[in-house]
Amino acid sequence: MNRRNFLKTATIAGAGAVIAPSFMDEAYAFGGPLVSMAKGTPPARITRAAVDALGGMGAFVRKGDVVVVKPNIGWDRNPAQAADTNPDVVTEVIRMCLDAGAGKVKVFDRTCNDARRCYENSGIGPAVESIKDPRVELSFVDERRYRMVDIPAGRLIRRWPIYEDVLNADKFINVPVAKHHSAALLTMGMKNVLGVIGSNRAVLHREINDALPDLNRVVKSHLTIIDATRILVANGPQGGRLQDVRRTKTVIASADVVAADTVAATLFGKTPREVRYLQLAQDAGLGVADINKIRIKKIS
Amino acid sequence: MRVLRRFSQVAVFLVFVFLFLNTEYKDNDVLPYAVNVFLRMDPLVAGAAALAGRAVIKLLWPAAVVAGVTLLFGRFFCGWVCPMGAILDFADATIFRKIKRRAKLPANLPRLKYFILFFLAASSLFTLQMVFLFDPISILIRSLTLSVFPGINMAINSLFDALYFTNIHAITKFSEPVFSFLKNHFLAFEQPQFRLAALVGSIFLLIIAAEYFQKRFWCRNLCPLGALLGLLGRFGLTRRRVGDSCISCGKCERDCRMGAIGNDFKAANRSECIECLDCRSICPEDAVHFVGRDKPELLPMDVGRRGVLTSLAVGAVAVPIFLSEGYRKVSDPSLIRPPGALAEDKFLDRCTRCGECMRVCTANGLQPALFEAGLAGLWSPILVPRMGYCEFNCTLCGQVCPTGAIKRLSPHEKRKTKLGLAEFDRSRCIPWKGESNCIVCEEHCPTPEKAIKLREEQVTTLSGEIIKIKRPYVDENLCVGCGICENKCPLTGHPGIKCTSRGESRAQGAELLTTDEG
Repeated sequence: MNRRNFLKTATIAGAGAVIAPSFMDEAYAFGGPLVSMAKGTPPARITRAAVDALGGMGAFVRKGDVVVVKPNIGWDRNPAQAADTNPDVVTEVIRMCLDAGAGKVKVFDRTCNDARRCYENSGIGPAVESIKDPRVELSFVDERRYRMVDIPAGRLIRRWPIYEDVLNADKFINVPVAKHHSAALLTMGMKNVLGVIGSNRAVLHREINDALPDLNRVVKSHLTIIDATRILVANGPQGGRLQDVRRTKTVIASADVVAADTVAATLFGKTPREVRYLQLAQDAGLGVADINKIRIKKIS
Repeated sequence: MRVLRRFSQVAVFLVFVFLFLNTEYKDNDVLPYAVNVFLRMDPLVAGAAALAGRAVIKLLWPAAVVAGVTLLFGRFFCGWVCPMGAILDFADATIFRKIKRRAKLPANLPRLKYFILFFLAASSLFTLQMVFLFDPISILIRSLTLSVFPGINMAINSLFDALYFTNIHAITKFSEPVFSFLKNHFLAFEQPQFRLAALVGSIFLLIIAAEYFQKRFWCRNLCPLGALLGLLGRFGLTRRRVGDSCISCGKCERDCRMGAIGNDFKAANRSECIECLDCRSICPEDAVHFVGRDKPELLPMDVGRRGVLTSLAVGAVAVPIFLSEGYRKVSDPSLIRPPGALAEDKFLDRCTRCGECMRVCTANGLQPALFEAGLAGLWSPILVPRMGYCEFNCTLCGQVCPTGAIKRLSPHEKRKTKLGLAEFDRSRCIPWKGESNCIVCEEHCPTPEKAIKLREEQVTTLSGEIIKIKRPYVDENLCVGCGICENKCPLTGHPGIKCTSRGESRAQGAELLTTDEG
């Protein structure tokens, strides 16, 4: 999609048009970023519906693109416990990328528990492997592949090692699960970026609200698809207790990671203002955290 | 026939290596193979564990089979099955092939292994199990686990890393696929690292190096398992028989790897002969045969009453000395045992320090003890949380323990088992010092209701500023002592939270759970 095409579409469709990430400035002209919110079952269907509402995956992934799909596979938990991204959401995102002509789709996460256990028990490993397409590459993180990246505008972090595959990718698709987190309050798209960075990331938790905008400056999410089919409302981010899980049956998508997180926060009954890193991200110009300036497109 | 024996050695060794490589989490909570079978068929391990632990250990039934077959057919195990024997034979055929062995060793050196056996028997009888020091299967698996495998792994990783970092596509194009093949099939998922690795490895190296003096030096002179099997197999049915065509060339006697053949080249020592059948194959006159039920031509067993009594006595005397060690008076708080470990005394009665649990430990948290459990507890497994934590949903160590020193737990039982308790070091912990929030321990705490609780408190910083900080507390009823909090604590040096064995499930005495007073 180029500028002319965009303008054409936008003119025809009016204010509710498709917005591609490279046209953020134009998007504001139509009243802020678009966030789609698809509700229902099954997870795969609403995932596709949420992306379709943004103009389909074709609006984000071009033919031959190397795409990184980054789910949250952080914990040795099963899908019902909602600590990791729903495997059906992940595989549907991958399928959409393949349909859009992606040259390669890489899937990985730097886990907190043993990576083998996380990949297996989250269901994401077996589910991704069941997509028999040579373009899909599921891998464990390779310690050698971090590259030091300067963050000149960083408030907390001056430089940090970032996973090379993310830096080299044409598109980074952020596919978190929405959860409670006692430091960040909530962990969604912006926090999911912690899974592609190296070094001792635990130290960042001291000032997580400053760390997340800094990291999201250099790890840009071209598309954020938040799995809120189940959300974890307490004892996050690892959970383990089904009574802490709410079946919200929702998938949220946006080209603006801050806006996507802002909308997801409302599912927890939080005002986005309470989630400080979202405000700081907005101040840093990374996206929109003001719920009134976000156009929400609901699909059910 | 010799070919058959070699084939058996190679085949068994390959099975051994296969099982060793599969003593690892491979996307399956239950290991599909009985990876510990070599230890479970070891009558020495079985005998000592049963004797010291005063229990019939059902897990060890294969040892009864080996003992039974040895009663019938002699000490074949050493020649045909034992992976340590296979390694020594291989070393002879390669490293030591050209060695001329000139050193004249004392003729009664082979007695030593019986003395060791009697020492172990006596100490086991009085509940001190020291078999781990001499059992060849335990030594082998321990050495491979703690030093050989990590060493090989380190070497290969370094090599391919060096190639990778050349950044020359012509090289990495080939090296990386090879590397990922090796990683998928042979190498460890993550580089294993163990304390005492070099020490444990050097013992194994010494056993191999002793081949310089004699073929099968270890098996002939030191191995108590060989001694036990020799005693059992002494009256077996198969006999070495030398026919009348013998020309007394002495080839068999010179060549015998066990020194089992007498000076007349006819009689053989049944306790020493491991039925390798070499003498049968090399006899120029084809005079040697191994037959069933024949008039025995036995050399007398030459151990000596004095030696037997002395070794038994030493074994018995060692017990009270070891048991009166100071380590036993005040238990070391860092003595954190694997989940499902028996109470300490029972645990040490059974643990053969084979290293299977350390090999299989997902997060590399189980490490060999040095003196935490006293000298008698040397190399027994303890959790060292700073090196690796206990995975909440993992039950593998209980699955691989050959003697039941670590019970097999269901995932549900495992998650309820306390290895100990975590406690904060408030002079180290970041929020406790009033510096800032942290929550890394709380985030990683795996109990469904977190055992680490946060409480927002008003804190006056050193500069006099009043701030609000979430301070962490341990709920000792919920904490299972898995150590992930200590492992992930972002502080370098001493962690801000530490696990000790206090409150462990296996504790038998009265135990009071205190709350972490605020």
